[in-house]
Amino acid sequence: MDVIPVINFLYGIPVLGLAFQLVGYLVAILPDNSPTIMVQATPLALAAMTGVICERSGVVNIGIEGTMLAAAFTAWVVGIAVNPIFGNPAPSDIFGITMPLLISLAAAVGVAVLISALHAWMSITLRADQIISGTIINIAAAGVTGYLDQLISKSSPVGAGEFAAFQPPQALVELPLVGWLLNMFLNLGPIAMSTVFLVIGLQVWLFWSRWGLRTRAVGEHPRAAETVGIDVIRLRYQNVMIGGAFAGLAGAFLSMEATNSFQIGMTIGRGFIALAAMIMGRWTPIGGFLSALLFAVFLEISQLIKIAPPTGDLGQVMTSVPAQLWDALPYLLTIVILAGAVGRSIPPAADGQPYEREAAA
Amino acid sequence: MHLSKRLFALGTTTAILISACGGTAATPSPSAAASSAAPSAAASSAAPSAAASSAAPSAAASSAAPSASAVQAPNLKIGVVTDIGTLNDKGYNEYTFKGATDGAMAIGAAAPQSIVPKDASEYAADIKQFVDQKYDIIVTVGFNLTNDTVAAAKANPKIHFVGVDQSPVCVDPQGNPDTTFACKGDAKTLLPNYTSLYFAEDQAGYLAGIVAAYASKNKSIGAIGGTTLCAPCVRYIQGYDMGAKSVTPDIKVTAAYVTNDFSAAAFNDPAGGKAFATTFISTNKPDVLFQVAGKTGNGILEAACQKGIYGIGVDVDQYVSLGAATDPTYGCIITSAEKHVESATSQAIQEIAAGTLSAGDVLFNANNDGIGVSDFHDKASMFGPEVTQALNTALAGMKSGALKTCPATGCGDAKTPLP
Repeated sequence: MDVIPVINFLYGIPVLGLAFQLVGYLVAILPDNSPTIMVQATPLALAAMTGVICERSGVVNIGIEGTMLAAAFTAWVVGIAVNPIFGNPAPSDIFGITMPLLISLAAAVGVAVLISALHAWMSITLRADQIISGTIINIAAAGVTGYLDQLISKSSPVGAGEFAAFQPPQALVELPLVGWLLNMFLNLGPIAMSTVFLVIGLQVWLFWSRWGLRTRAVGEHPRAAETVGIDVIRLRYQNVMIGGAFAGLAGAFLSMEATNSFQIGMTIGRGFIALAAMIMGRWTPIGGFLSALLFAVFLEISQLIKIAPPTGDLGQVMTSVPAQLWDALPYLLTIVILAGAVGRSIPPAADGQPYEREAAA
Repeated sequence: MHLSKRLFALGTTTAILISACGGTAATPSPSAAASSAAPSAAASSAAPSAAASSAAPSAAASSAAPSASAVQAPNLKIGVVTDIGTLNDKGYNEYTFKGATDGAMAIGAAAPQSIVPKDASEYAADIKQFVDQKYDIIVTVGFNLTNDTVAAAKANPKIHFVGVDQSPVCVDPQGNPDTTFACKGDAKTLLPNYTSLYFAEDQAGYLAGIVAAYASKNKSIGAIGGTTLCAPCVRYIQGYDMGAKSVTPDIKVTAAYVTNDFSAAAFNDPAGGKAFATTFISTNKPDVLFQVAGKTGNGILEAACQKGIYGIGVDVDQYVSLGAATDPTYGCIITSAEKHVESATSQAIQEIAAGTLSAGDVLFNANNDGIGVSDFHDKASMFGPEVTQALNTALAGMKSGALKTCPATGCGDAKTPLP
């Protein structure tokens, strides 16, 4: 059973051989880096959940980016403030969790919920243009966090640290075929690891619960929902704020788990990519998660090509195209898939439309 | 509806106001310099380089200035227009401003004023504010301000302009900024009032490479740059490669760049940088990692420390600027490849006062203390006297010009493969 000649034969086939070489290259190099894929996908997936909940109930939220940024900043600042109170506790064995970290996380989620409540007030009660409302949040979050960061970061303060990744048992990771997949979903910090469960839970909640049915009804035809006794305004408020909690988790992930620091503008557009993931996933939680994951896989591949370019014919082909193509790869493929494979992606019918009660009109 | 519209207008206005505050330092008129707030961390320019340069005269005085003591020119008004960001960014803006403050003090002038632009569209207007207020010396920080600085220098021949890292100066035959990069004009004669300070990053990288080679146990070291378009980043890494191989000829040096464009991922994405570096470390298996990627690089250093390998910082002593002494997140930094922006700016101002600063591109390298490596801080015990010896020898070679620290062809071009 010597496979080398077989591989060499497959690699040698004109044109088609390149495809085999690509598969061989990815199989050799991608599994080792599988946890990084989930790290890249987590903020996108969580932010996409914000989009799904908001838009399913009929409120467009493009302020996810700003909400994430504010949450990331809050997590960092609260960590700095709270850590000395608890006497700089040493990280525990489970995820490196400490009391200051938990408080920071709660504060980050809280701030995100508050900001979302502001968005809900502007877009539901005031019936303002929801795009403008979201834009206000994005601009204000960038400005406020930038200003405060400038005041605080002068003295290089030490934050509350970061959540540590769980180390799965070596025997699991080394399992043939599935080991790297297990590693991908287990060798993670608590926020990233819980993402999968949150997504599945949200999917169940949205499609198999009373709350989900009502949410979808409010997003499709609020007038009809109101006639059967659903409080449209209240449900929309609730959903936008629950969505905010997810954006808060995404932001906290950036400054408490992915890194242990805050930088001005550190979200760099992830909130908008999440919106694309939401559309690509057809406004479903699992769809949004898979889209984010797909984006992250292509991002990882494009980075691997930069870090350790393949050798042989494939390497020659790859290095002969402009390197910028590899930077653009995740975005290009997202567009292609969005335009082609997913087919027509239909938003909820009442998406972005303010609801006016008949009595009030 | 009226109420909602009014509230809405209020909200929008508030948002705009708040965001305007975001770049606070960008007060409409040049704000009084907050120089008192400048932490003493600035004095980071480094034991090894200081020790190494014992043969050379000390920092500021080593320049070509004819008189040993600084010329007194107390009437000069100095303004600094930084790049986007903050005045205390622990990087270019901060150290240039500190250098301007030092220079002003040396010539007995008033403390410099500063403006921090909110975005690229404000560069020209911010420079004009200083011009309108009849400042004598205007310092602009970073490559992004090149065109606006050159245009202002042409329009105001009586004002001295100093650009940090704006080389190579490229002008058309009329002395206007040349966006086509044909560079037909001679900036030196066309713009005698404009000087660009640039640095021999490859020399700094070379010294860092020597340190990396001594620190490496498995003969594999790495470097990550922000973008292939950043020629100074590429020069750092090319020098790093040559420096490491001067110590251990068969050492494996791998390098990668986060992007190939000037998107935020290149210099402002610590989370992305950390993920990139994690992949880099697990794939190429270096045990020393050099970052040349700004804030993205802070994430790269985090990844290095988390994976238990050594990190090397860039531009300034990052062990100090990131607070590695108290923050284990960055505890693995062994040294940093430094550009002495502060001392270069200070020297330039003193030379303007003395009338000796030449126009065009002025290089800061080992000869005028323009580059160096940082102190090893708590890692000093890792390095024996042979490391200091090697650094000294390299510095001497750079000063005499005998030591080449960048490939003869393709220096600063990321397409040039590492030798």
